[in-house]
Amino acid sequence: MRKVALRPGLEDELKDALSQLELWRCHQCGQCTPVCPSARHGGIRTREVMERASTGAMDLSMDQEIWKCVMCNSCSERCQLGVDPAHVITLLRNAAAQRGNRPEHFAEELKLFASSGMSFPRTGLTRKMRKEFSLPELDVSEGTMEELRRLISSTRLGRL
Amino acid sequence: MDGYLLYSGCLIPSRLPFLEASSRFVLDRLGVTYEPFPEGTCCVEPIGLRSLGYDAWLLVVARMLSIAESRGKDVLMLCNGCFLSFKEAAHALEDERVRHRVNQGLAEIGREYHGGARVRHLMEVLQEVGSSRMESMVTAPQDRLRLALHPGCHVIRPAKVLRVDAHYSPRVLADIASRTGAQVVSNDAWPRCCGGGLAGVDDRISSAILQDNVDSFKAAGANCILTPCPFCFVQFDLRQKQGLPVLYLSELVALAFGASPELIGLKYHRTKLE
Ligand code: SF4
Ligand code: SF4
Repeated sequence: MRKVALRPGLEDELKDALSQLELWRCHQCGQCTPVCPSARHGGIRTREVMERASTGAMDLSMDQEIWKCVMCNSCSERCQLGVDPAHVITLLRNAAAQRGNRPEHFAEELKLFASSGMSFPRTGLTRKMRKEFSLPELDVSEGTMEELRRLISSTRLGRL
Repeated sequence: MDGYLLYSGCLIPSRLPFLEASSRFVLDRLGVTYEPFPEGTCCVEPIGLRSLGYDAWLLVVARMLSIAESRGKDVLMLCNGCFLSFKEAAHALEDERVRHRVNQGLAEIGREYHGGARVRHLMEVLQEVGSSRMESMVTAPQDRLRLALHPGCHVIRPAKVLRVDAHYSPRVLADIASRTGAQVVSNDAWPRCCGGGLAGVDDRISSAILQDNVDSFKAAGANCILTPCPFCFVQFDLRQKQGLPVLYLSELVALAFGASPELIGLKYHRTKLE
């Protein structure tokens, strides 16, 4: 696979990850932008983000634009060259999160996931409704939680 | 298929148990058998959590795929987010090198994945039932409904991985809806996003995307939205202003099969169906 030449703006780990992708195929045609529901409202400009990722013109500790993607996969489906911008954005976000750049909403979600195995809180209403519909109680066992903790401790999520 | 592992994720069982109730009702009526998946955790949903930890996403889903594989059963999903998460992980794990690396992590908890799990979405399972069989069970045709279809991004794209429907002009949801006697008045050729993925992150953009949908549904004369995704369901049910009511896929089918609104908890919708 061909390597992308990146300028120093993006650090090594990320360069490595991006070089595994098909980002080098991007010829900046811009077809990914008009299908983007966020771009239409002044959110992410997909083609420009691909350009900045290719050239390294991006400060991941501050960039806000990458967090305005709604992960609809429209760009990836539309790109005829197989660049998969949504996946590129996912990896950019991973690297940004490692630098402390992440939305509070997702940070809260991560806390809940790491402590309960679920991304939504179980409340009194949860129990009431589950009983009303004769559904089994919702429970993540201690054994499952222990497996989860061991699995994620060595990952980027574990380091956050 | 001799029984599924029913994986309902975390949004449905914690906040929307009534959607689980209508799904079970429909599966029971159709004679589709299933058992619980008690070792399940959140799928490390592909919008927020996976954006924070791609490596953890792959490990956590691989763990669940390995459990499903060892039980020898297909996993049945009620949520587009979970479905995308599992399908993309299974796809990534088809690569032997990736699987080898992930299995080194799984070995820590005494598990291993060989690449044999199968993942299905409720929408696929209902499609497979076939129209004549499903139509023969409809006792309450939903002919007052003029539906705007909203399959949701993550049951459609990436089409080459998910393999449920065409990415341009999809048909599956329309097929199922029409078996219930409902009329389909809007079905986007390029399925839209509901904007839910930015709720809580950038509420202005999230609402603007939502409004794009609702405007087009109303212009088409819809009186209800239909979706097979609980995230889209929440976005439409909670965040529209003076909006259209929304039905989750199993709710529509359950109503057509004669379930009462009480039995499937329609009272828990914020935007009521008249
Ligand atoms: S990512 Fe694809 S669609 Fe977008 S500008 Fe590059 S080549 Fe064109
Ligand atoms: S995945 Fe993100 S960047 Fe791509 S079209 Fe959707 S919102 Fe835009």
